[in-house]
Amino acid sequence: MNWITHLCKRRRLYDDLSEEIREHLEERTRELIEDGMSPEEASLAARRSFGNVTLFEERGRQTWHWMSLRDFLADVRYGLRALRKNPSFTLVAVLTLALGIGANSAIFSLVDSVLLRLLPFVQPDRLVAAQNYYPQGGFVAMRTNLQAMDVAAYLEGQELNLTGEGEPERLYGAMVSAEFCSLLGVEAEQGRVFQAGDDQPGKDAKVILSHTLWQNKFRADPKVIGRRIMLGGVSREIVGVMPPDFHFASPRNQFWVQFHFDPRATQTYWGAPWVPVVGRLREGASIETAHTELELFQRRLLTMFPWKMPPTTWQTATVVPLQQQIVGEVQSKLLILFGAVALVLLIAAANVANLLLARATVRQREMAVRATLGAGRWRICRQLLTESMLLGIAGALVGLAFAHFGISWLKSMLAAGDIPRLATVSIELRVLLFTASLGIFTGLAFGLAPALQLSRVDLTESLKTGSRNAVGASHRLRAGLAVSEIALAVVLVTAAGLMMKSLWQLMHVDPGFHSESILSARITPNQAFCDDFGRCQSFYNSLIHDVRSLPGVRGAALVNALPLNGRVAFIAARFEGYPQDLGDQLNPLLFDSVITPDYLSVMQVPLLQGRGFVDTDTLPNAEPVALITASTARKYWPGQEVLGRHVKPVWENHWRRIVGVVADVHEDSLSAILPSWIDGAIYEPYSEHADLINRRPALEMTLVVRGTNDASSFGGALRQVIARLNHEVPVTEVETLQRVVSRSVSAPRSMMSLFAIFGALAVVLGAVGVYGVISYSVEQRTSEIGVRMALGAQRRDIQLLILGQGTRIAMLGVSLGLGGALVLTRLMTKLLYGVTASDPTIFIAVAISLTMVALAASYIPALRAVRLDPLVALRHE
Amino acid sequence: MKTSKPRDLFPGALEIMILRTLHRQALHGYALCQYIKQASDHLLQIEEGSLYPALQRLLKEGLVTAEWKVSATNRRVRVYKLTSKGARHLEREVSSFERMLEGVTRVLAPVKL
Repeated sequence: MNWITHLCKRRRLYDDLSEEIREHLEERTRELIEDGMSPEEASLAARRSFGNVTLFEERGRQTWHWMSLRDFLADVRYGLRALRKNPSFTLVAVLTLALGIGANSAIFSLVDSVLLRLLPFVQPDRLVAAQNYYPQGGFVAMRTNLQAMDVAAYLEGQELNLTGEGEPERLYGAMVSAEFCSLLGVEAEQGRVFQAGDDQPGKDAKVILSHTLWQNKFRADPKVIGRRIMLGGVSREIVGVMPPDFHFASPRNQFWVQFHFDPRATQTYWGAPWVPVVGRLREGASIETAHTELELFQRRLLTMFPWKMPPTTWQTATVVPLQQQIVGEVQSKLLILFGAVALVLLIAAANVANLLLARATVRQREMAVRATLGAGRWRICRQLLTESMLLGIAGALVGLAFAHFGISWLKSMLAAGDIPRLATVSIELRVLLFTASLGIFTGLAFGLAPALQLSRVDLTESLKTGSRNAVGASHRLRAGLAVSEIALAVVLVTAAGLMMKSLWQLMHVDPGFHSESILSARITPNQAFCDDFGRCQSFYNSLIHDVRSLPGVRGAALVNALPLNGRVAFIAARFEGYPQDLGDQLNPLLFDSVITPDYLSVMQVPLLQGRGFVDTDTLPNAEPVALITASTARKYWPGQEVLGRHVKPVWENHWRRIVGVVADVHEDSLSAILPSWIDGAIYEPYSEHADLINRRPALEMTLVVRGTNDASSFGGALRQVIARLNHEVPVTEVETLQRVVSRSVSAPRSMMSLFAIFGALAVVLGAVGVYGVISYSVEQRTSEIGVRMALGAQRRDIQLLILGQGTRIAMLGVSLGLGGALVLTRLMTKLLYGVTASDPTIFIAVAISLTMVALAASYIPALRAVRLDPLVALRHE
Repeated sequence: MKTSKPRDLFPGALEIMILRTLHRQALHGYALCQYIKQASDHLLQIEEGSLYPALQRLLKEGLVTAEWKVSATNRRVRVYKLTSKGARHLEREVSSFERMLEGVTRVLAPVKL
């Protein structure tokens, strides 16, 4: 039966029922009249013994609905009318909900795109990542031997110069093994991806461009395939252009070049850099089998090295889903944010529930009338729930607009941070569904208590006295809601406070250098240019000379890895006096800053002992010397004289004599001096001995220039100097050192800002909640206050009476909130620096300030209570 | 004083009584109501109106049918008749009801002594 005939049939069924009931009443009336009653009496008696006519008729009809669309539409119409009649209430409620829902949708879209959405590859659930790094030779052995999975290797952070295409440019890309793209299952947009054999020596002068690079640098030229470009001083053939959404494994990637796996180059083949490995599980293999096989294979790998490797080289061989590997540590951060924003929504919902409860008392008579006219409890309940759901949906709609702006703001704020796949964040179907269900469910949740309360009206009582009862229970409920709002606000504000203190501590960490008035710029000549080290060195010497002679410059120097900039330069070191063979121990890794002599003075790094470098230290035949940081000296020669001791890279024969001890500099971040896997730090003068882990002297350097005042003004002059010296050398990352320092805390800063916003929202909503409860209670108690005044109560007493109520809410809310915060802030321990999750000053400050806020919120209604005219108050009804 | 609240024995009791009554003869709503009242010797207080939602439920389940007729007193009445499905349903319900009643009686018996 289609629905139209069903509707028609239903209409007839309804008519039958009504007529039948009418006939019933008439028959009864007739009988009673025959028994001698007057017609009026008989009609009344018939109705009395029948019961509630409307209700039974309605129930009879309900039998035929499985979903009463008509009633629902009527409810919606009625609800809309009720909301329109009270625009200020509707506006406040919708805005409150919209803030809560919008914030949730924005964060959810982040969670969705970053955590939930599958990687845009073929069968992404079969992709895995090994958590260890392997030497290139090790990877080649894995590629030929592993049965459980196919593997590919990649190495992020390849920076190469693009020359001969206009201005020299520095590009960022990745080195990948031949099967990289096919393993992920991505096709080129133009041309082809790498094929098997492309990573063999001799076939490896190829490059694949990202869509963006192709568009910007090559103006989307369709004939670009097959062209040769100079990348890093080497001529490479463009074989493909990737589609716009492919950036793996970093959104910064502009190109992909191949590894060249050459077993004869023992140092790169088995030594650094080691590479991460991704895999695709073969048919029938699981993560567990891949894991077991890899663990066994690792032991075989150790025997393949051309030198002895300690058996502890790899601990285990964890294989994880690729998605998990990419998302990594961000997951817990995002979940904390999600939790925080959910609290905001809870507060918003509590607030609206409170508003609804206040309105409920006003509407008691309306509901009583409806009940008298035959509306059942469920019917009234449903009507009220429809109203609150309408509010929820309106909140969701407006919230979606908020979310739209929120997302672009989030993106710009988190851009400098560490969140992968950020660019793909947008409002998608899943976000829409989430928002819609959030609207409906919050509507139901906050509407339930008021609806139950209102539908429980005692008919005669409310019709008689209007709006004066059911007050006790309602007031307790409302006060309870206000208490929980304050408690939740306390949790959020405490979290925000902890993050603020943490950030404040971070910003006040002494990085070990003075960043004021320093401009930094990265100078990156090609490898080929620096193969002749003399040429390279004289280029840098002239550069420093020319920059120093610029007006306003007080000093200039070079360093291979600028502090706090994310680059790590290191050597595997040997210390004089330590046994040659460390047995199970790996050689210590040292952060190796290669500097020109003036670096320490330009950066104002204090020299603690001995001497700094001088120009003669950089000459080719000079004695190799080094400086050591204080903490490294303490670690390896505790309590001993350090000057005159020796250190060297493991692969070198020449020992470097330690000529000085310098203070520690924060190389890694403001919270850590060195990366966790680095054991210490030394400095070497910029000479041909200063070779790093790849056994090549540092060629890419960062220029630091100290000016007399504003450092940023040198940028233009600096570029001119370099262009004059060598127009093929790109100059990038020209920025003040202060900017570098501040960017290094951008991730904690953006987290802090988000929490600060959530906290502020929570406080405002909480204050509105308390205000609402107290002013409503003043309204309810107006005549009581009148009586008290008439009996001689002073204005002060009245004020205390009202404020006392606010104080109770504040105290209860704050203490509950502190308890909750004590438990919940522990989850964010990892995000905090220099402050424990239960920092007493923050907890006390939050307790005091939120109590003040709650009191201030109840002060306004208290003032109103005091200003009441006793005469008016007494007559208040 | 009469209480106006329906004293429902247990869910479905009214339906069984209706089916039982209709099993004897087809009746219209008012007559059905009077019959049940008299048959129970006015022991069961049923709000007359509650009969109609119950009848609608039975109609929907197909246990009874309804037809407009003209009664002996010359009024338009809607007469309900038990269907064969309704008869089978009644049989099942009555036997299960009797079993339950027997159980209840046994449990209550010693207390009465």
